[in-house]
Amino acid sequence: MLDLFDDYTLRTVALGSAALGITSGALGTFAVLRRQSLLGDAISHAALPGVAIAFLLTGSKAPLVLVAGAALAGFLGTLLVMAVTRTTRIKYDSALGIVLSVFFGFGLVLLTFIQRRPDASQAGLDRFLFGQAAGLLQRDLVTMAVLGGIALAAMLLVWKELKLLAFDPDYGASLGFPMRALDVLLTSLLVVAIVIGLQTVGVVLMAAMVIAPAAAARQWTDRLGLVVALAAAFGALAGVSGSVLSSEAARLPTGPTIVLCATAIVIVSLLGAGRRGLVWRALRGRRDRRRLRVAAVLADLLALEQQHPDAHRGHSAAVLSVMSGGALPSLQVLERRGHVQRLDEDEWALTEAGRTEAER
Amino acid sequence: MPKLLLALLLLALAGCGPVQPPSARVLEGEAIDVVATIGMISDAVEQVGGDRVAVEGLMGPGIDPHLYKASEGDLRRLERADVIFYNGLHLEAKMADVLERIGERRATSAVTDAIPRNRLQSPPAFAGQYDPHVWFDVGLWMLAVEQIRDTLSELDPGSAALYRRNAAAYLVELERLDAYVREQASLIPERRRVIITAHDAFNYFGEAYGFEVRGLQGISTAAEAGAGDVQGLARFIAERRIPAIFVESSVSPRTIQAVREAVQARGFDVEIGGSLFSDAMGDPGTPEGTYVGMVRHNIDTIVEGLRG
Amino acid sequence: MSEAAIEVTDLTVAYGEKPVLWDVDLEVPQGTLMAIVGPNGAGKTTLIRAILGMVKPAAGQALVHGKPYEEQRRRVAYVPQRGSVDWDFPTNVLDVVLMGRYGRLGWVRRPGGEDRAAAREALEQVGMSELAGRQISQLSGGQQQRVFLARALVQHADVYFMDEPFQGVDATTERAIVELLRELRTRGKTVVAVHHDLQTVQEYFDQVTLLNVRRIGSGPVGEVFTEENLRLTYGGRAALFGRNGA
Repeated sequence: MLDLFDDYTLRTVALGSAALGITSGALGTFAVLRRQSLLGDAISHAALPGVAIAFLLTGSKAPLVLVAGAALAGFLGTLLVMAVTRTTRIKYDSALGIVLSVFFGFGLVLLTFIQRRPDASQAGLDRFLFGQAAGLLQRDLVTMAVLGGIALAAMLLVWKELKLLAFDPDYGASLGFPMRALDVLLTSLLVVAIVIGLQTVGVVLMAAMVIAPAAAARQWTDRLGLVVALAAAFGALAGVSGSVLSSEAARLPTGPTIVLCATAIVIVSLLGAGRRGLVWRALRGRRDRRRLRVAAVLADLLALEQQHPDAHRGHSAAVLSVMSGGALPSLQVLERRGHVQRLDEDEWALTEAGRTEAER
Repeated sequence: MPKLLLALLLLALAGCGPVQPPSARVLEGEAIDVVATIGMISDAVEQVGGDRVAVEGLMGPGIDPHLYKASEGDLRRLERADVIFYNGLHLEAKMADVLERIGERRATSAVTDAIPRNRLQSPPAFAGQYDPHVWFDVGLWMLAVEQIRDTLSELDPGSAALYRRNAAAYLVELERLDAYVREQASLIPERRRVIITAHDAFNYFGEAYGFEVRGLQGISTAAEAGAGDVQGLARFIAERRIPAIFVESSVSPRTIQAVREAVQARGFDVEIGGSLFSDAMGDPGTPEGTYVGMVRHNIDTIVEGLRG
Repeated sequence: MSEAAIEVTDLTVAYGEKPVLWDVDLEVPQGTLMAIVGPNGAGKTTLIRAILGMVKPAAGQALVHGKPYEEQRRRVAYVPQRGSVDWDFPTNVLDVVLMGRYGRLGWVRRPGGEDRAAAREALEQVGMSELAGRQISQLSGGQQQRVFLARALVQHADVYFMDEPFQGVDATTERAIVELLRELRTRGKTVVAVHHDLQTVQEYFDQVTLLNVRRIGSGPVGEVFTEENLRLTYGGRAALFGRNGA
């Protein structure tokens, strides 16, 4: 398995995808915790016209220029969302949807317009739609690592301030921290995380890389630092496994495969993770219900005993079943525990121990 | 009621043929408005039609026909045309709907219809579809030219003689081009005859002139190249010690650069031999802006890169 | 010595055309417990937010110990409504209380041993010491309120603003909070609390402000908390600007 990583291309794609996974996973956690998951989607879709306009203005196909355009457009998009929610009656998610669609549509129109230019295909702007991980070059890796590193460093620097922002912004404001500026900062970091991933996964699917790792990580732990770290790890895992899988199979597009891996991680986490996992909760529910039934049968036996003149008479399972359905399995459990004894084929009575237990 | 249905049926059938009766304007002797999709077709139509045609091309130099989506302006141009020539075989993949709808109202002609199916290639990875890049086999392209000549003649019988003459002259030129390509190709030693490009545009070229061809993205640039494909290609290049790989004018060079870096990581240095014209020609007014010029440029670049 | 802890003059806050606070004057003497009381939408929370500088007033001003809030941050602590926060957030009790030290730490610096000790001390004061490591999602309403109070206590402030501190807490917690408030008062601190329960105003507080967009009355509970004033405050929409002549 490890000699897979001897291969240069796989190494490059995997590293790039890991960088993207780590950054978007970590910063996406804050977005998810603040219930702003779809902000990531809006930012990435809004970035599309930025790429097109950057190309139109500069004629350059250098990734750095295009990514800068993407960042600016994504950032403008969020400013617009905030302005719209503040000044009109439109709610936050509607504003997100509007900005997302308008910007994205505008981007598509620009791309159609650009395709008539002779140098357009050379710029390969289309790759920003769905990503082209296999086209990652060394210098792209450097860009991603540097930008991602800066974003993560900034996040760590103002960690407690971000915690305030996410948990209780009102309280933070009362302490004197500029919460609006911090909001802008966090959004900017999110924009950076998103645009470094655009070339790999594309505008359309990038939102998944912001949301999925954080959603999965939340299932496993209740400590903020661990959630962020785990989200980063899950993002990296999705990136690397997506890269490996798409390199093994022919003609499997890397971007979507990475997203599928991220989704798989979410499903596993939802089902199995610790106390919050669905599977665990179902199992525990069953166990609790069984306990309840056994206790009910025990109590019924005691009640019957007390009502009946002959205290040591046995009672049939059928009678007990009437009182609290399906008594036989519970009776067997009670017999094993020594709380009940079988006087005859279908006659059950409490033992001394059983009586004490029931009276509790 | 049955009579009405029959009338409607006849009416529908009447509109079904690929070529409709010539418009009044054409019969009066004005130039035929032609819209062509790719540059190679525009060029061929101009060669055959001469002064009798006014050709407007939709996709200029550097434009990728696999991804091209028709704009509102394009639709208007198509509506105004007397005849529309396109490649067919799903080359203009994103215009399929448009071409089909226009075909019900205007004369349209797929120039590859003239090519017998047994001469078309169908790569195993894309079962059911034919490789549309037929123009690189000059012999096949000559059949397309004949299709153009026949379509124009049917539309404008008055000038049929002119079309026959022009076509004949052009076909002679194409014969010479074919010979040139073969001659140049023979300059490359056997084991170096491998053309590696961003997508599988050169299968017909390879088949006709004796080259092994490998493309990264398959026959359509709409498919995303995977990391595995880059790896495989890099391994192949390094093993066979191929001296040059080629970028294409209408495709982003990134993936080829990625291949090159991968090959270098294996300890072998492969050159980017130059840019080939694959799905589009060069700038108008330059020699590469014509079909003949483009093919010559390609073979010259290939020979230069691979001869060593 | 009897400089008022809080002094509000002509405070007016409007959202667009609609006034939420109109021409409010009030004074909170130092070392007292003041209740802010009024119907829904009366502007009670807005009053606190305006004093804390979170909302920009259209007119008027608020002073804390003679100076604007921005200059007095160190001396003021804020306890927001419990419902204003998502209690599913991944953090524990101690961590929330530590937030009270963030103001003192300033930018970038992380809480250290000294801060943790102060936080534990505050938790002790509210009787939550054993729950320091508990996830806040597992807290009852009363426990949540105590955590918020501890967070404010750790700031060692002179003035405390609380928004509905008794809302939805169990009887034990309610008694504990009252104890706490009285202890603060003994130490010369001032508490201003938005209070929802008219029955307990006289028992828990010394001062009361009756608010319904305009100030209906403000002062010692005995004087101000009358039936007449309550009718004015709660009786229909009479208090909105335009219909109340005075």
